[in-house]
Amino acid sequence: MAQIEIRNLRKSFKQDAVLKDLSLNVEKGEIVALFGPSGTGKTVLLRLLAGIYPPDAGTIGLRGRDASGSPPEQRGIGMAFQNFALFPHMTARDNIASALTARKADTAEIARKVDAVARLLKIGHVLNHSPRELSNGQKQRTALARALVADPDILLLDDPLRNVDAKLRYEMRLELPALLKRAGSTVLYVTQDFKEAMALGDRIAVLLDGEIAQCDTPERIYAAPVSIGVARLFGDPTLNLVEVQPKLIDGAPEIVVGGAAIRLPESYAATCGGHYMLGLRPESLYLVDQEAPGTIAADLVAVTPLNEKSVLLFMIEGGSELLASEAGDRDEPRRTGPARLAVDLDAVLLFERGSGRRFVPADNFGARP
Amino acid sequence: MSASLSIQAVDKIYHPRGRSAVHAVKALSMDVARGEIVALLGSSGCGKTSTLRMVAGFEDVSAGAIALANRRVDRLAPAARNVAMAFEGYSLYPPLTVRENIAFALKRGRLSASDVARRVQQMAQLVEIESILDRYPNSISGGQQQRASLARALVRDADLYALDEPMGQLEPQLRAVLRGRLKRLLKDRAMTSIFVTHDQTEANALADRIAVMEGGVLQQFATQHDLKERPANLYVATFIGEPPMNVFDTSVTRTGDQTMFQLDNGPSFGFGDNELGPEVRQTIGSRRKVVIGVRPHRVVLGGGCGETARVVSNQWLGDQSHVAMAVAGKLLVAVSHARVRAAIGESVPYGLRAQDLHIFDPDTTVALAHGARAA
Repeated sequence: MAQIEIRNLRKSFKQDAVLKDLSLNVEKGEIVALFGPSGTGKTVLLRLLAGIYPPDAGTIGLRGRDASGSPPEQRGIGMAFQNFALFPHMTARDNIASALTARKADTAEIARKVDAVARLLKIGHVLNHSPRELSNGQKQRTALARALVADPDILLLDDPLRNVDAKLRYEMRLELPALLKRAGSTVLYVTQDFKEAMALGDRIAVLLDGEIAQCDTPERIYAAPVSIGVARLFGDPTLNLVEVQPKLIDGAPEIVVGGAAIRLPESYAATCGGHYMLGLRPESLYLVDQEAPGTIAADLVAVTPLNEKSVLLFMIEGGSELLASEAGDRDEPRRTGPARLAVDLDAVLLFERGSGRRFVPADNFGARP
Repeated sequence: MSASLSIQAVDKIYHPRGRSAVHAVKALSMDVARGEIVALLGSSGCGKTSTLRMVAGFEDVSAGAIALANRRVDRLAPAARNVAMAFEGYSLYPPLTVRENIAFALKRGRLSASDVARRVQQMAQLVEIESILDRYPNSISGGQQQRASLARALVRDADLYALDEPMGQLEPQLRAVLRGRLKRLLKDRAMTSIFVTHDQTEANALADRIAVMEGGVLQQFATQHDLKERPANLYVATFIGEPPMNVFDTSVTRTGDQTMFQLDNGPSFGFGDNELGPEVRQTIGSRRKVVIGVRPHRVVLGGGCGETARVVSNQWLGDQSHVAMAVAGKLLVAVSHARVRAAIGESVPYGLRAQDLHIFDPDTTVALAHGARAA
């Protein structure tokens, strides 16, 4: 039985249906990253779980019991929300300790636990400050420390690194999973940053249009997204989309991209005659020196370095643009001008143009584990 | 090439009422060549925005001089400087449509109505706002306002384009393509540009050279390649790069023909004189303590490496693995473009190569050596 079991949850605010029919399981000790663009209802879902809002329909199971009707204080959930919710008249130390004093724990034991969690979150030096003396990043970590210190078995974290500066955010991204695993908590972690979702989540639940569009491991979400909507949320830069109409040529499925005929594996034969969007991740496009069948004539118009990669912007026949990325440092930067592009066929994604759903070939090609 | 923009010994001191003076920019000198794209990069409060505003004329200089296209401009009103500025806060005129806002920037020129329309259309296409040209600023999103503000600056003929966080509000899906288009436009038309950003990805993508500022002081002004390969000091080394450089305090000793770097509370790394040349050894000189650094992408993982360390985290981001290991009581981060299969808690072999080593003075934080060469 899952530690958190959400079944057919619905929630509307006036005419606005935020959660439409949401189901999600989180197993004991698992970290699930709840990821989606802003305004998709991630925070609303956390509030329903915490018992702050009642659902319009559906059930919430916690630790194998139906908790749909329980008041917040009986749900035994640790939370850190975006708006901090720190007590303004108490120091950071007392704010963190407040999660333990309510349980009448031993004073020395409380101090030891507060110090330990503060050290991990790098706020040990500001424990005696009041909230108004803390930066937003420090407030956020204080709220996170308060949620973690009580070792809750279920933890809801609402974008806890949002206001933290980039460098510290990166460090926390490395250290937080181990910290959460050590505590053994079951965690639902809300984020708007795909890298954070991939780095922290054992699985990622992608929330789109009030439903979980896909819940899977980071690897599978990236390599085998269920839809264009999901695919577009991952990758920096995100994937290229090109309209294609696969046709059967000499018994094999073929698409035309920028004037080049590209032969697809036979498992794509069923797409022939249909209208699709070809999704190409920038790292699955690469430059080749010579013209060869299946390579695309392109004009390299700009080279923009990105984080140990180079992002190359190409113009292809018909005036559409393609982004490719190259790993590593080149001694000489690429020159703009005519070039040829090849496609890594293992990484091809085809989406139905109407529904946006990915065509899953019989050998589930494109979904490398 | 002669400098298009020249900033000479400029200071900016603010005197807020009832509080002590703030020295926001200190003795800043830098030149921007004609057609060059320069980024002012730093965290909030580093002085980058004050610098841009002094260049554009929205702040006075407290000391020093600014020249643009061979004439001194620091006493001129903004309109007299021929600088096209895109503001972070958009600042579009609310009673005008987006189209009118962009065209307004061309009003004083001698362009025909059809030329104005053509240029507005061209710029709107570049930043993808054609569909909202006839709407009013308050009815479009923040990202669209920002793109309109950018178009309004770029549509002009100016001696300098001053852009304040030009893509801060943009949707990530659009950003990568827009960066490429913007770079092409600026380069094709040799538009001399200076832009402020706190995002090094943006700086790397667009700029020919990047000015890294901290505490009002220019830390280094160099290409993105040199900022990574030859950081001037520890601030730049640990600020630039995603993730930034790994740095460790070490004690230096000599054993035979080896220079040994003993990490405080950690392992020791030895390099022979054939690896670490005389130049570097001379630079280290009689120092007993140095800081060594290695960029995450240069940490070598796998068999044949001398040391082992415990994996603290291993994260796959779709196109790269980030592996953090416990070394000397800190984290040593390695990044690989190939998938690294290592479980948390596992011991993995790793190594550092002499050619990837950066050495810093622990007291002054200034770089002493990069790779096999003195700084």
